[in-house]
Amino acid sequence: MTIYTKSCRNDSRHIVFRLPLALVGAASALLALPATLAAQNYPSRPVTMIVPAPTGGGTDVFARVLAEIVEADLKQKFVVENRGGAGGTLGTTQIVTAKPDGYTIGFIWNSPLTTSPHSLNVAYTPDSYRAVMSVGYSSYVLCVRPDFPAENAKELVEKLKQPGTRYTYGNDGVGGTMQLAAERVFSSIGVKLRGIPFAGAGETAKNFLGGHVDFYGGSLPPILPHVEAGKAKCLLLTSAGRNPSVPKAEGLSALGLDKAETVLWWGLIVPAATPEAVFETLQKAFIQAAASDKFRDAMAKQGATSRVLNGKATDALIRDELAALGAVAKELGIEKKQ
Amino acid sequence: MTSAGFLLDGLWIALQPRNLLFCFIGCFWGSIVGVLPGLGPLAGMALLLPLTFSLDPTGAIIMLCGIFYGAMYGGSTTSILMRIPGEAASVVTCIDGYEMARKGRAGAALSIAAIGSFVGGVLSVIGLMLVAPRLADAMLAIGPAAEFTILLVALGISAFAATGPLLKTATMIALGLLLAMIGLDPLTATPRFTFGSLQLADGLSFAAMAIGLFGVSEILMSFGQTITERPKAPALREMLPNRRELKEAAMPTLRGSFIGFVFGIVPGVGHIVSTFASYAVEKSLSKRPEEFGQGAVAGVAGPETANNATTGAAMIPLLVLGIPAIPVTAVLLSALTIHGVQPGPLMIAQHPEIFWGLIASMLIGNLMLVVLNLPLVGLFVSMLRLPYGYLAPTILLICLIGVYSVKASSFDLGVMAAFGLLGYFLRLMKFDIAPLLLAFVLGDRLEINFRRALTISEGDYAIFLKGPAAQFAVVLAISVTIGVLFLRWRQSRGATP
Repeated sequence: MTIYTKSCRNDSRHIVFRLPLALVGAASALLALPATLAAQNYPSRPVTMIVPAPTGGGTDVFARVLAEIVEADLKQKFVVENRGGAGGTLGTTQIVTAKPDGYTIGFIWNSPLTTSPHSLNVAYTPDSYRAVMSVGYSSYVLCVRPDFPAENAKELVEKLKQPGTRYTYGNDGVGGTMQLAAERVFSSIGVKLRGIPFAGAGETAKNFLGGHVDFYGGSLPPILPHVEAGKAKCLLLTSAGRNPSVPKAEGLSALGLDKAETVLWWGLIVPAATPEAVFETLQKAFIQAAASDKFRDAMAKQGATSRVLNGKATDALIRDELAALGAVAKELGIEKKQ
Repeated sequence: MTSAGFLLDGLWIALQPRNLLFCFIGCFWGSIVGVLPGLGPLAGMALLLPLTFSLDPTGAIIMLCGIFYGAMYGGSTTSILMRIPGEAASVVTCIDGYEMARKGRAGAALSIAAIGSFVGGVLSVIGLMLVAPRLADAMLAIGPAAEFTILLVALGISAFAATGPLLKTATMIALGLLLAMIGLDPLTATPRFTFGSLQLADGLSFAAMAIGLFGVSEILMSFGQTITERPKAPALREMLPNRRELKEAAMPTLRGSFIGFVFGIVPGVGHIVSTFASYAVEKSLSKRPEEFGQGAVAGVAGPETANNATTGAAMIPLLVLGIPAIPVTAVLLSALTIHGVQPGPLMIAQHPEIFWGLIASMLIGNLMLVVLNLPLVGLFVSMLRLPYGYLAPTILLICLIGVYSVKASSFDLGVMAAFGLLGYFLRLMKFDIAPLLLAFVLGDRLEINFRRALTISEGDYAIFLKGPAAQFAVVLAISVTIGVLFLRWRQSRGATP
């Protein structure tokens, strides 16, 4: 528990964290036989699923629905434990430092893995955990008021590029995934907007509807009822493709910017040294659960898109995103300070 | 159909045995989490939220709402009996409620709080029905600049509400604002005063601070025998408020309802600000302002009514705009979206059964709560019959459990202990703690809104005068300042005839 309260400087991190990993590796080799046996009987007692977010958010809902489906499949309790705080990094630290026996796993969203490490001194890297799978994503959207003189993504970009324009957009908070996703798009287009940080998409929507900021930037659900009521016009998504709930909004591929995609996604991680057999069991069970109708229905209700990836693909996604968002954060002047 | 027709429909929905049961469970559980220090409505709702996944959306939101206003009822109990705020909106009640208890009027204070909560709760639901759409527009008009000015007014009011001399109050406000600085800088994400610890990245926990400053410091004071007079349990026939107390509570209760409902518009901190505002108003209107801080009935009746009256207004942004203005309504929002209901401008038209069912259930729930809480007064008060040697450690244990259960964080226990010590020394030096807590709560939002406004205007201070809401806020600030100065002058003249 005290590992992360002591700030761990960049240069020393590798030494500090590789050593215990090596020890764990050596120890598990020595104890190979009983460990394999235990892994084959997995899960023989209830599994704790840490969610590094408070109860009630999308991450929590998805975790609970998945747990219910997997419980029936593996005939074992999966207990969801909410450990919010510090943008999810507190709970994520607990996941990666847990005993790697498969009885503590974590259902996370991408922010503590690929965004927070750029502004906070987190005690983990992609080497400290292993991605088991991911379930799907939700794109962020950029919306304007109905009288804004643009009807599609191309016209919006033209407006943004006009010299002398000084637009503001609301985002979910500095250093958050939403801000970095939007800034990644803006910098690929080559425009600059003033970001106004709010406590969440709800507060952004309020200030956008009240006319205090020019653009709404955030997740889809809070703005959808206002699109329906004719109070907002959504033009650009931060995903490559479109989303059926906002037919007017185009994906980044309409601008030829597929590569700048940043979305909010969810997945399962375990401590890096988790036995291979346990990993395989979890990967199989959770991929099956994520593909079920029940889970896809839960995702649809939250405006999310199903896209099931296995551990390997999720791991590649994490490493790519971490690097790309690191570059965006650097450009914005967000950096870790001791 | 007229509103009355819709309301009858709503009553029909709310009176279905199923929904009545959910309403009762919510109110009952809300009272419990309100009584337990540390556990507020938010934690209480989060705990029951997973259960609502299998309910229908109407039942789910009726139950969760019950927790919200049930907690507002229960919050005053420990404030009055033990000087521990059950939740943030009950900080003010610690001042005069506890003093009443020390005079043997604990039963009266609890009854007045329960009755005030009922009146405030019911009036605010009626307000919600009548003016919801118009108030929603007013809420949208409040941008960062206007919000900053309003919060500044609130902070000014708290300086007046405080009991000590102005210099000591200002010191406490400054300390509160400084403590609010801990955490990530809202515009650059730079950690401030976190000493590299992730535990402090979100700032200090309000529950841990409040319980430390009030509850733990009270126990520390008793060790040194600094306090000779402890709350005593009243005799059975002294349990209810007497005629004089009821008379003194009547007007503050009505004013508190109005203040609470209006402050419910203030985003995020309305329920806390309203209690301080009501306290300040009662103190300045009182013929005997010197009684405040010594167990004034109006100092309990006003704030306890006000915090319940905010519940109605706090629901407006959620039900009319689909925007959660406070964390509690954010949980309600997610309870609805889980069922595929997305509140917004069209919800009243698309899901009238949810809107009107909820309104009706809030009326029924408030009635349930007052019936539930008045008999409990006797039970709670009898705890004071325990010898203090047993009571003090029990209180400390409840504090520890409460603070720990908010985030399951042992770090917060340390925060509570540290602030217990700080509170002890501050009280030895006769500092008033309440302004520190209010400044801490407001500090975050004051800063972020100031900086948001200036980012929007690119550094032009004229933004604080731009737009109707901002102008109104400035007029409010000026008139409150003049009003406070006038009342002080009148009271000082009255004091020296």
